[in-house]
Amino acid sequence: MDRQTASPITDQPTFKDKHRFFLFIVGSIGIATTVVVASMSMYNGSGAAQLDLSRPGYKSVRSKITANDGDFQNYSSSGVIDKNSIKEFRSLFDRQSQKTKSVDAFGGDPLSPEELGIAVPI
Amino acid sequence: MKISKKLSFVGFLLAVGVGGLTILKVGAQGDTVSDQQTNLIITNCVLVKNTLNQLHASDALLRVNMGQIYESMSTKLMDKFNNRVANNDFNNNYIVSVFENYNLALNSFRSDYIDYEEYLSSAIGIDCTKQPVSFYDAVALARTKRVKVHEDILKLGKNIDQYKLAVSQFEKDHFGTDGGVKR
Repeated sequence: MDRQTASPITDQPTFKDKHRFFLFIVGSIGIATTVVVASMSMYNGSGAAQLDLSRPGYKSVRSKITANDGDFQNYSSSGVIDKNSIKEFRSLFDRQSQKTKSVDAFGGDPLSPEELGIAVPI
Repeated sequence: MKISKKLSFVGFLLAVGVGGLTILKVGAQGDTVSDQQTNLIITNCVLVKNTLNQLHASDALLRVNMGQIYESMSTKLMDKFNNRVANNDFNNNYIVSVFENYNLALNSFRSDYIDYEEYLSSAIGIDCTKQPVSFYDAVALARTKRVKVHEDILKLGKNIDQYKLAVSQFEKDHFGTDGGVKR
């Protein structure tokens, strides 16, 4: 009858065995850092940062955001095209285009030295 | 004798080189900020920073609100109209090409605004009491970027007008004055 001889316990605990919890914490922090860096670069690179008025510094204008564009009616992409449907489209289109023309957005020159008060008087 | 001649020639070349570089450097600085202006920037630093911060916030609001309208005009009106025309088997090539130009202008507006905001933010981040020249240059850069954003807005306005004309032309071509359909 063969008897299997039990191998003597000679294995020393490795570094991994000894510091399992520590490695787990370091790994978790590493993964979290990677994900945060990736998401922040996406946030900044995509232009979302420029639209995010919840950032500090925008408190004064936050309440003026047009949060509800309920008056912006969708034009239906189905249905017949006739004089009446074109008239309907034109009325919706004109109403919105008026909004874009009511403001001279980014006009003027507020960054000129004169406007900023740093121009040397002649 | 020969060596001293060579040395004096090398010395002459060095002097010309160094002098030229100095003139170029001074010229480059002189183009932008004078001493008087530097003092003015340092004196008015807090005031200018406040103005820039206010502009930064109000332009961000403008970007959000105007961007929303331009975006909705594209997705809720123009795109839908183009689809409706196509669904009814009308030729809509011209309207679609105007629509594509509009979207290109909208993309330029988005990316140019990002550039502008980044330049303005970096200008705001510069300490104008310690680095008045860098501050002035950064504001000047932001200014050129803002002009570009304004040009995009004008381009968008022009495309909106063109789209309106294209719709009128489409109506004229296919429905005439009698209301009859011409495909």
